[in-house]
Amino acid sequence: MEFNENQTQKTGIAERPVSVAAPELINGSHALIQSLIIEGVKTIFGYPGGAIMPVYDAIYDYQEQINHILVRHEQGAAHAAEGFARITGEVGICLATSGPGATNLVTGIADAIIDSTPMVCIVGQVGSHLLGTDAFQETDIMGVTIPITKWNYQITNPDEIPEIIAKAFYIAKSGRPGPVLIDITKDAQLKLMSKPFDYKKCEKLLSYRPRLSPKEEQVEAAAKLINESKRPFLFFGHGVQIAHAEKELLQFIEKTDVPAASTLLGLSSVSVDHPNYVGWLGMHGNYGTNVLTNQCDLIIAIGMRFDDRVTGDLSRYAKQAKVIHIEIDPAEIDKIKKADAPVVGDAKRALEMLLPLVKENNHEAWRAEFKKFDAIEDEKITQPELAPTTEKIKMAEVIRTLSNKTKGEAVVVADVGQHQMMTARYYQFKKANSFITSGGLGTMGYALPAAFGAKVGAPEREVVAIIGDGCFQMTIQELGTIAQSGLPVKIIILNNNFLGMVRQWQQLFHAKRYSFVELQNPDFITIAKGFGIDGHTCGAREDLNDSLDKMLASDKPYLLEVMVEKEENVFPMVPTGACVADIRLE
Amino acid sequence: MTTYTICVFTENTIGILNKITTIFTRRRINIESLTVSETERKGISRFTIVIRHESREAVEKLVRQIRKIIEVLAVFGYLNDDIAYNEIAMFKISTPIGAKPLDIETINKTYKAWVVYWHLTYVIIQKTGTEEEIFEFFNYIKPHEILEFVRSGRVAVSKSPQTLVDYLPEAEWEYYM
Repeated sequence: MEFNENQTQKTGIAERPVSVAAPELINGSHALIQSLIIEGVKTIFGYPGGAIMPVYDAIYDYQEQINHILVRHEQGAAHAAEGFARITGEVGICLATSGPGATNLVTGIADAIIDSTPMVCIVGQVGSHLLGTDAFQETDIMGVTIPITKWNYQITNPDEIPEIIAKAFYIAKSGRPGPVLIDITKDAQLKLMSKPFDYKKCEKLLSYRPRLSPKEEQVEAAAKLINESKRPFLFFGHGVQIAHAEKELLQFIEKTDVPAASTLLGLSSVSVDHPNYVGWLGMHGNYGTNVLTNQCDLIIAIGMRFDDRVTGDLSRYAKQAKVIHIEIDPAEIDKIKKADAPVVGDAKRALEMLLPLVKENNHEAWRAEFKKFDAIEDEKITQPELAPTTEKIKMAEVIRTLSNKTKGEAVVVADVGQHQMMTARYYQFKKANSFITSGGLGTMGYALPAAFGAKVGAPEREVVAIIGDGCFQMTIQELGTIAQSGLPVKIIILNNNFLGMVRQWQQLFHAKRYSFVELQNPDFITIAKGFGIDGHTCGAREDLNDSLDKMLASDKPYLLEVMVEKEENVFPMVPTGACVADIRLE
Repeated sequence: MTTYTICVFTENTIGILNKITTIFTRRRINIESLTVSETERKGISRFTIVIRHESREAVEKLVRQIRKIIEVLAVFGYLNDDIAYNEIAMFKISTPIGAKPLDIETINKTYKAWVVYWHLTYVIIQKTGTEEEIFEFFNYIKPHEILEFVRSGRVAVSKSPQTLVDYLPEAEWEYYM
């Protein structure tokens, strides 16, 4: 709780001599910014407007401490804050005005809650005397965001600001992280506090007490099941990355010798090179992981929530297996899949406690079963995708070439659709905390702003956004934000002139009735150049290597458009409502 | 369909009702009755929510989702056997001159209902009891013209000897005393 005395002297209302002994009263806007500074905030993604102008006036005084990034649309601010939060593990901050400013954040907030991303959204609101009068740019954003925030609160009195902001940060980042929205009326931003500014970080709340350390008896019960199991199968999800439990997970995997599979958001927590890593789960996951889910005798699920894209038909999902569910959110236990041994707590703590209780084991024969399926998948899908005979480039080649060139260590931000699944399949993640995508909500347009946010959070890392031509046009204006920042975000558009995933479903399940999925696209490179971002199009296989090299070599933002096969499909696939064991290879 | 009574203890701040009901709405669970009041502890509200549902599992999941609301201190789901519960109802009964007189003795002694207001042309009768008892009385009084009828939500107290404090041992109750 370092607190710079000088900050309190800047009132923004009237500059008074610094020597005044009595503590000065500051207004709500300054209290807000000072609160953010004490919480360690260095970056805000935002967009000004009428009801948040006093806060913007205050930010003007703090430009040395806080880097405010002006986005082009509030949705971009929300996704950028998500990308920032995902890569840093810190709370992402976005700032917007009332009404449309706030509602434009909604998609990003909904995305953050379902993917457990810590975020504090601060939005302006009309003056408290105007609440409920349909005032200009008034929206009941509290009502709107109740179902999609972990917590929301409306501030009408500047005296509340320090306590509420402290609470907001604590709630956003503790337990299962999530978005918090703070709605501040304009008068609360303008009015002076009635008492000197005093900030205490929030460390606990009476009504909200997330459990970090699981109960010992739960851990013991889990250990017993693990030690008795002949065919244990470990699933790891986003919770491992959130808890920074990658090291503990590796120790656990190596001691027990269990095969380990990732969910979509768990990708990169275990390197693809690890001998116990057997692939990923779900609709477009690997062949062996899906089929053998229904042949294991124990599932050890860590920080994942049995999403329907993972389970397929639940009534035929792993009926034979006992389930250990390690999860920080008690509401996830038994929500989808009944747990024989629930372990409620932080993944890192749970693994630390579990580790001494589990026996060293050898599951080589059981792990070898995955290899048989891998061989089939490799022959039927992976090899034809990576070494195609088609004239047009395939998405898989682009991703795998990128993977090789970046040694599997870039931060890859995938948008939503076929290119997302191809990225998950063909990028060979070798470094933890390297994959960012909209998993739960499936928000098209996520990747461009999220990649930008990730680059802001981790400027030392190579950040590559993989985006489809449909997705790109949903948040295309954030090219302006990227250009203005000058940050070298690398953008790859995999252009098939189709909404590819929808087209694939129409082909497979709707008798090729291609209903509104073909796009007439603009010239993306011209658009990028208009924004001041360099780029080029790659249309031929022999140019792919050089194209990627050129993009990666640039020290500025760069857009590479790759023209890919128009009608390719992502396989394997567990169609909706099918059983995981019935995964289709074609 | 089984009747469940869900008791939710929350901080008494603006908007909590909205935060709770949205969890029911999203799962398409209808609220049969709802009562809110401050508890014996200042600043803590108690919601008593009655629902009917065929799946105990679904109700357990609902309870866990309600618990996730930050301002919620505790949530309990009860079957009718677990609780002492009651409702209150008021009947405005027409008593014009010449009409069949009310049998006040039966109303008092059999139905444990009381006249709480007299007017020249009507009376207001208050009846406390379970939903079934209230509807029994409703049927009894129906031949007289019912001008208005209102029934409160259920209030319920668990039969367990534990107090709320027992469920929240770590809580700093002094703050709310």
